[in-house]
Amino acid sequence: MALMITCPVCGPRNGYEFRYGGEDKGPRPAQRELSPGDWFQYVHANDCADGIQKEWWVHRDGCGVWFTTYRDTTVNREVPPPEEDA
Amino acid sequence: MFGRTKPLWDTGPELKSGYDAVIIGGGLHGLATAYFLASRYGMRDVAVIEKRHIGFGGAGRNTAIVRANQRTQENVPLYKEALDLWPVLTRELDFNLMFNNCGNLNLLHSEAAVNAARMNIATAQFLGVESHLIDARQAKEMMPALNISEDITYPIMGAMYHPPGGIVRHDAVVWGLAKGAAALGVHIHQHTEAAAIESRHGKVTAVATSRGKILTPRVLVSAGGYSAAVIHRMLGLRLPISVLTIQAMVTQPLKPLLDHVISSGAYHVYANQTLKGEIATGAHMDPWPNYTTQNTAYYVKHQAEALVEILPCLAGVRFMRTWAGLADMTPDMAPIMDGNHPLEGFYMDCGWGYFGFKSCSAVGKYMAQYMAEGRCPEILKPFALERYEQHRLMGETAALVSYSPDN
Ligand SMILES: Cc1cc2nc3c(=O)[nH]c(=O)nc-3n(C[C@H](O)[C@H](O)[C@H](O)COP(=O)(O)OP(=O)(O)OC[C@H]3O[C@@H](n4cnc5c(N)ncnc54)[C@H](O)[C@@H]3O)c2cc1C
Ligand SMILES: [Zn+2]
Repeated sequence: MALMITCPVCGPRNGYEFRYGGEDKGPRPAQRELSPGDWFQYVHANDCADGIQKEWWVHRDGCGVWFTTYRDTTVNREVPPPEEDA
Repeated sequence: MFGRTKPLWDTGPELKSGYDAVIIGGGLHGLATAYFLASRYGMRDVAVIEKRHIGFGGAGRNTAIVRANQRTQENVPLYKEALDLWPVLTRELDFNLMFNNCGNLNLLHSEAAVNAARMNIATAQFLGVESHLIDARQAKEMMPALNISEDITYPIMGAMYHPPGGIVRHDAVVWGLAKGAAALGVHIHQHTEAAAIESRHGKVTAVATSRGKILTPRVLVSAGGYSAAVIHRMLGLRLPISVLTIQAMVTQPLKPLLDHVISSGAYHVYANQTLKGEIATGAHMDPWPNYTTQNTAYYVKHQAEALVEILPCLAGVRFMRTWAGLADMTPDMAPIMDGNHPLEGFYMDCGWGYFGFKSCSAVGKYMAQYMAEGRCPEILKPFALERYEQHRLMGETAALVSYSPDN
């Protein structure tokens, strides 16, 4: 089945209307005393989870909003947030 | 009915409690490394641990294109040596790898693409690799089926012609290397999943598998598209990798019409004609990371539209078969080969995206040297993981790609 993504503004829409925005890595680290290692972790490093991951999307061909959601990368389906995050 | 079948290699060696080296992943890189460890470095007490069957990963799914016309001086020599090794391995393994040395035509559709090709060609020539710039008319002479008219979406302005590349039979590489490695004493354990890497005082001591623990001082992770997840799970090490499904398909067999591998960046399509006559074609990766290895109508349609623009004679031809595999992409489109970090005896060879077939022969040779000697061979040094932290990304792509927002 094709990917459906739920936009917080427009509701569930076809995945091809969206652009993937990367794994959610929390807030951008503070610039002061930022080590190259921490910057690498934030900019380049990924978990590459084969399972459920929290990730960014933007509704590119829609309302333009950026938001996070959860998706199971093994089946390419959006999933509800896990308990601890709901 | 045609006589008894005899396995090419010993398929049922017992799993020993210890090996000099354990290789996780029975793909191209794992098998090549095992073969070179045994044949060049005398390290024969080696186990290749494969979760499914050998060739299950990208090894059996790739579109078999080989070439050495990359962009940077760090990459070209490695791929050149890989090209040179196909005939050597064919002889050594006594197994026909079916190197069809038909050359590659990389179509150029803009002034910018022509200029970029000029740089690649200069790099290739400087490093002793044959590569030329040709114009659209010359490309048409070489490949009469090509549409060089102006009224397509991206008219063809010229091509980068790279005669030494072509196609190698990918299954034959898997089988040939397995046969060669096993004959030298390497144990290939299929249906065995590596679950954990154990260590003491910063040194690798064992690999835990679904069939028990194996003691070993050195382990290589060469699990293809699964490497990043495996390494993260086993060692908590996060890599600059995104894993995406990449799709491929073949048409019904046709009379010979493509004498060269063709590729087009603008159309996101590449194609070659197999020895059976099918047009084998692949495309860009899925637009978001996933491990599905499923085909999508979106790409089948894209592929058909793109192919028919550059090769109009394919209109109406049917796709017979589609399949997909994983591409583990790095931000600079160059792989990560590293060792003894974060554990002594831990080696990794991943981030090969959709170019890990053409490299496997040379990489197996050098990863074997790395593992046997414990020191990084000069040619592999630029591929260390630390380059990302030191902002020394490789220039294999003109602009930094990100499989997150810009893909
Ligand atoms: C559709 C497609 C087209 C491609 N076209 C080309 C091309 O034209 N030219 C080119 O150069 N490259 C191409 N590639 C890329 C190439 O196939 C890969 O880069 C290459 O296969 C990587 O080799 P590898 O040995 O590292 O991994 P793989 O060949 O993927 O092997 C990895 C193995 O590890 C096993 N494994 C995973 N996890 C575990 C575990 N925990 N324990 C034990 N085993 C495990 C897997 O089952 C798999 O068999 C293509 C790839 C695809 C998918
Ligand atoms: Zn929206």
